[in-house]
Amino acid sequence: MSIVLDQVTKRYQGAPVVNDVSLNVRQGEFLVLLGPSGSGKSTLLRAIAGLTEIDHGRVALHGRDVTHVNSRERHVGFVFQHYALFRHMTIGDNIEFALRVRKVKSAERRARRKELLKLVALEGMDDRLPAQLSGGQQQRVAVARALAHRPEVLLMDEPFGALDAKIREELRRTIRQIQRELDMTTILVTHDQEEAFALADRIGVMHQGRLLECGKPDDLYTRPATRFVSTFLGAANLLLGYRTPRGVRFSSAPMAGGEVPREVVAILRPEEVELCADELAIKSNFVSHGQVEEVLFGGAVERLRVRMASDGPVPVAPGREGSTGQGSLLEVSRTLPEQRDFPVAVGQRVAVGARSIHVLPTPISSFTAVAANEAAARELRDSPLLLTLGTRMQTRVATRIGRFERAPPGMPAIATGPDCAAAAEWHLTHGAVQLLCVPPTAPLPNHVVIHTLDAESRRATLAVAASLLRHVAAEAIYLGIQPAASAESERGAHMRNLLDARSAALADHGLDMRTELRPGVVAEELQKELAAYERSMLVLGTSNPDAIQWDWLKSLLEGTPARPVLIVNSARAEPAADA
Amino acid sequence: MAAAWFRQPSILPGFGLTLGFTTFFLSALVLLPLAALVFKTTSLTWSEFLDVVLDERALASYRLSFGAAFIAAAVNAFFGFIVAWSLVRYDFPGRRLVDALIDLPFALPTAVSGIALATVFSPTGWLGVRLQQLFGVQVAYTWLGVVVALILIGLPFVVRSVQPALVEAQRDLEEAAETLGAGPFTVFRRIILPAVLPALVTGFTMAFARGVGEYGSVVFISGNLPLKTEITPLLIVIKLEQFDYNGAAALGFMMLLVSFLMLFAINLVQSWSRRRHSGPVDSGRRVERRRRPRNQKAGA
Repeated sequence: MSIVLDQVTKRYQGAPVVNDVSLNVRQGEFLVLLGPSGSGKSTLLRAIAGLTEIDHGRVALHGRDVTHVNSRERHVGFVFQHYALFRHMTIGDNIEFALRVRKVKSAERRARRKELLKLVALEGMDDRLPAQLSGGQQQRVAVARALAHRPEVLLMDEPFGALDAKIREELRRTIRQIQRELDMTTILVTHDQEEAFALADRIGVMHQGRLLECGKPDDLYTRPATRFVSTFLGAANLLLGYRTPRGVRFSSAPMAGGEVPREVVAILRPEEVELCADELAIKSNFVSHGQVEEVLFGGAVERLRVRMASDGPVPVAPGREGSTGQGSLLEVSRTLPEQRDFPVAVGQRVAVGARSIHVLPTPISSFTAVAANEAAARELRDSPLLLTLGTRMQTRVATRIGRFERAPPGMPAIATGPDCAAAAEWHLTHGAVQLLCVPPTAPLPNHVVIHTLDAESRRATLAVAASLLRHVAAEAIYLGIQPAASAESERGAHMRNLLDARSAALADHGLDMRTELRPGVVAEELQKELAAYERSMLVLGTSNPDAIQWDWLKSLLEGTPARPVLIVNSARAEPAADA
Repeated sequence: MAAAWFRQPSILPGFGLTLGFTTFFLSALVLLPLAALVFKTTSLTWSEFLDVVLDERALASYRLSFGAAFIAAAVNAFFGFIVAWSLVRYDFPGRRLVDALIDLPFALPTAVSGIALATVFSPTGWLGVRLQQLFGVQVAYTWLGVVVALILIGLPFVVRSVQPALVEAQRDLEEAAETLGAGPFTVFRRIILPAVLPALVTGFTMAFARGVGEYGSVVFISGNLPLKTEITPLLIVIKLEQFDYNGAAALGFMMLLVSFLMLFAINLVQSWSRRRHSGPVDSGRRVERRRRPRNQKAGA
């Protein structure tokens, strides 16, 4: 491995900007770190270069632990967004700088300079000053300068950010070529997905300090695991569907039968939508009828918006309200041949089919705030935690007044306080797979405690916790609690359970968390851990809600100050095999 | 329309107006009085003029005035840089207060600072006594006192010209040098100093010019002993008090001349160094340059 990051964390004023990032980069691999501004990608890159010290974790370059090595001894080449050329030195001197400080003989320096200038196609520019070159040329010089001392890895921080589109594309090609030629392990940071697709062997998507997903560009595009990645890489219609034995059903019309339908989040790419005159003409899977609301001609592709029938698919986003009455809007893009086969105009009624959908493995689909009256439901819906999760997950937060026969699909949310425990018990025994008990005024948590009451519920709990932590910047700790009276021999089993949990979280969900084994009583230890942090939250897993001892949970849910508690009921959790 | 051919295209009107003001004020307030000084001097004959300006007492005062100003400016260039550096690069409690204090020598009437310095450094003064006891050094009423006064007066000039240059110097340049393997000293010498040098030279020049002309703060601490601690501006005042207007004008003319020559020289050095940093005229590089064509020929 050329670059190994292990649980790298960097905080600014207490808030993590890079949060538990672990990553391996192979020799010769071109990795692009992609993310919106403020996602921590540049900070992570600077941490690899040694320009920023990290608070926790390890950085290794070619098997050498460099966590506490300063940047000048890390042997990295770094390219800055604004070139950072030494303006008072000629191009030649800029390139030779690294060799000069290493006291390399002048003949050798000159040979290397010539070689590098040839590599970046700037031969004969030795005596020019940076100010006499164009932006693209200056960035080439910066690349040559960063390569002069034959670094082991090349790190580039938005190197094309300050250039115009045409030059950007040209330079992109040059850099890819150089990288291949030298077999140089490279990490490039950008917020431009087109750039990431053009350059990367692998793309790592960062959001709010976390590395959400890392994989081959086409894998990330066709099979994203998270809502954020599916919408950040290309356009996507995120729809709520219900898993049935015959596949995913999109209709929002209520289904017959007593079971709460298992809600899933599916992505339908605009280019995978098929439009036809009527249901029978659709060659792919029919979704719903709709009406064309907007047509934009965009050269090679045509972009349309189709208003779906009101009993059609429910969008995941936007809408804290969900869709009321009116159907949802579907983004569609069509190629020229498709347009020729079936021209459409605004106002036309069409049948909509889906050629392919991808069901996100995310365990949290949507939220429903359940309360006794409308005011309470609205207060709950607007609580910081629910509001944030709804916005960041780009998912629906519906409201429901009073109890129905069954718990709502997705994740019901109820307010902590009096009667909370009873309501929680009712939901968990009436079909809820997850339940969020949230104090309406509690701030966002920054310390999440994860605990499972039995080993069977671990998988589902970790999945939900990972999904939660992808959207809330918080530290995670997985607490194992060993009864104080238990034998020493059981300690090994507890420890193993803990380590398994940690590696499973990392491998399956990319979630890096601390683990700790404590002797004591479950209720006391959890309460102690939660009380130690002002903004803590509990994620509690169980595979048998009937076996929950409600007395201690009641004191947690109805006491003050109340903390958010997310209960995962794995008795009805998703089957392992994913269609 | 006369100025049309060198007029800069600008959206804002008023070129004629602003240039008119500039020439008028420069003429009325700077050039005219200076011309009057030169004119007044010409009322002396050559021998009279030389008698005045080459007088033993006058020569000693030149040495003191220019020498002390030069030393003070050099000291200020060094310490002023450090002050500016710590103000720009570090955040410490009271940084804003220190930043404001820098300007105090500007704002204070120079006589006040002169009296303050004299009180502290006089042989009976708080610092003067200790310096005398510990090092046997007397500051007040010697040339050292003059230097001390000029350091106080000149410091803001250096700090205020270096500060913006340091702010502007990009941090990523230093980081770039660091990733390329440069140690802190190399980063300072090869990256920071070249970027700040022009501002430093400007600050030095201004501190020096101010020092040459300083009167108020010096006369209290220097003791004004003829041939020893008498600065040229004081000599001019003495001449004026004796109604020797022509003599005063002659000395003033000499100061004008020397100041002008020194500023001119410093400007030359500065523009030369600017050209050096913006073009390959370094001796080492010149050798390479001469060598290269020959190599190319050999290769061809």
